[in-house]
Amino acid sequence: MTPAATEPDDDNSVKMMDYFMQLEYREPLCPVVRRYADQLLEGRLIGHQCPSCGLVYLPPRGYCPICVVETTDADETVLSDRGTVTNYTVVTPVQYYGQHETEPFVRASVTLDGGNATMNLQDLVDVPVDEVRVGMRVAAVWKPKGERSVADISNRSWGSAEGCIDGWRPTGEPDAPAEQFLGKATF
Amino acid sequence: MDDIAIIGYAQSPSQRRAELTEPQFLFPVISEAIERANVERRDIGFTCAGSCDYLSGQTFAFVMNLEAVGAWPPISESHVEMDGAWALYEAWVRLQHGDIDVALAFGSGKSSPGDPSEIYPLQLDPYTLTPLGADPVSMAALQARAMLDKGTITEQEMAEIAVRSRTNAANNPYAQVRGSGDVDTLLREPYVTAPLRRHDLPPISDGASAVVLATADKARAVCERPVWIRGIDHRIEPHQPGMRDLTESISTRQAGRHAGIDHGPVEVAELSATFSHQEKLLREALGLGDEVQVNPSGGALAANPVMAVGLARIAEAARAISERGVSRALAHATSGQCLQQNLVCVLEGA
Repeated sequence: MTPAATEPDDDNSVKMMDYFMQLEYREPLCPVVRRYADQLLEGRLIGHQCPSCGLVYLPPRGYCPICVVETTDADETVLSDRGTVTNYTVVTPVQYYGQHETEPFVRASVTLDGGNATMNLQDLVDVPVDEVRVGMRVAAVWKPKGERSVADISNRSWGSAEGCIDGWRPTGEPDAPAEQFLGKATF
Repeated sequence: MDDIAIIGYAQSPSQRRAELTEPQFLFPVISEAIERANVERRDIGFTCAGSCDYLSGQTFAFVMNLEAVGAWPPISESHVEMDGAWALYEAWVRLQHGDIDVALAFGSGKSSPGDPSEIYPLQLDPYTLTPLGADPVSMAALQARAMLDKGTITEQEMAEIAVRSRTNAANNPYAQVRGSGDVDTLLREPYVTAPLRRHDLPPISDGASAVVLATADKARAVCERPVWIRGIDHRIEPHQPGMRDLTESISTRQAGRHAGIDHGPVEVAELSATFSHQEKLLREALGLGDEVQVNPSGGALAANPVMAVGLARIAEAARAISERGVSRALAHATSGQCLQQNLVCVLEGA
């Protein structure tokens, strides 16, 4: 915490007080996310498949919130690192403090092949912003093995592979039909 | 007011540092409470949660906790940024409408990732107290000092309370600080913040608790021995501690009176006395004599999962009735610094 600074006015009365605060939190990765992070370093995306409804959660959560059943290592499944853009947002950066981006960029949801597992807020690479579309086929661009890091993975960063995957690159395959994805919830 | 009953309850073991996430350790607690209540998840007409995003260090962390409830298809739910005891209060009010017959209240907190001495000053006056870093231990020390100066407690009595809490906690599987102890040994320990020693302070805990409530007809239909909520009330005092007499708790006394404590003898009292001296203060505010068994679970000095600890007191009081044959018990929950806000709940077996 930083002590308060005061701005005395002409009459020396305090009109405004700055108070800067910072809170630090340190939470070790829970076992299922630890396992997810270890597998990311190996270049694998893993999830848990609900034994009741079949939905896949990536990273694993240790339960299916829809069926309210616990999931365990026995429900682990290795997922494809190829998928389809099922939604996206073009972000036009405003230069607030801490914003490093200067040009419009995309954050996309990528639904992995073979199921429902979807990674949100993903970077797309080697594709102009105005060419991004729902249905676009993409593949993960993994960092070289020695350069991967899971330092930014936290128990809350569901779907993140930051530090291990640079982004997703269009494969050039024909698009999947967009209507298959639009208006649908992903998990 | 219609009679509402507690038909199920559960707690997680309190831990200094839970390996699991908050929704993960909530998950089995909620499932167990529902199972013990002998109802189905779909029977629950209203759910209310108590938690604190500041503890988790993430905005809307409470939304993730709903994953432990099962919120699809959509459910009717609410959240209080308070102890789960206040979630139970909201659920109790909701059941008074009479259109639903089962409600779930839960509380959860993971204190281990943050630093309580940094987080809690932020709930105080932002001009005069937060910049001082007035943390809960310092505030409680001021309160204990005021009581010592007034002659309403001694350091010896404070240590006795701590020893009894730890001894009582020996048989509580959810407790974190257990064991016997010797008052003289404890009194030889150095002060953490004078006049408080380590044993006067609660542990830092991660944990959760859950309670299932039902209307009278439903409770009788599904539960062999419902625990009836005969009265529940909560009162609050000014935010600025300088405006209060810290040596007594007017809000606890009022809440106790409105909850109907004096309508019969109290056998067991589960009090959220987070610091040792507060137990004596609360006993006096509630008029509890020596015949009342206070904190047979060990209380908040044995396990202090913030946001779950008050609801755990209600669960423990209910347990005393349904499992140990006690006929009348009270539970107390608190919020804010130095017992600023207090809730009292009177429970009966029949």
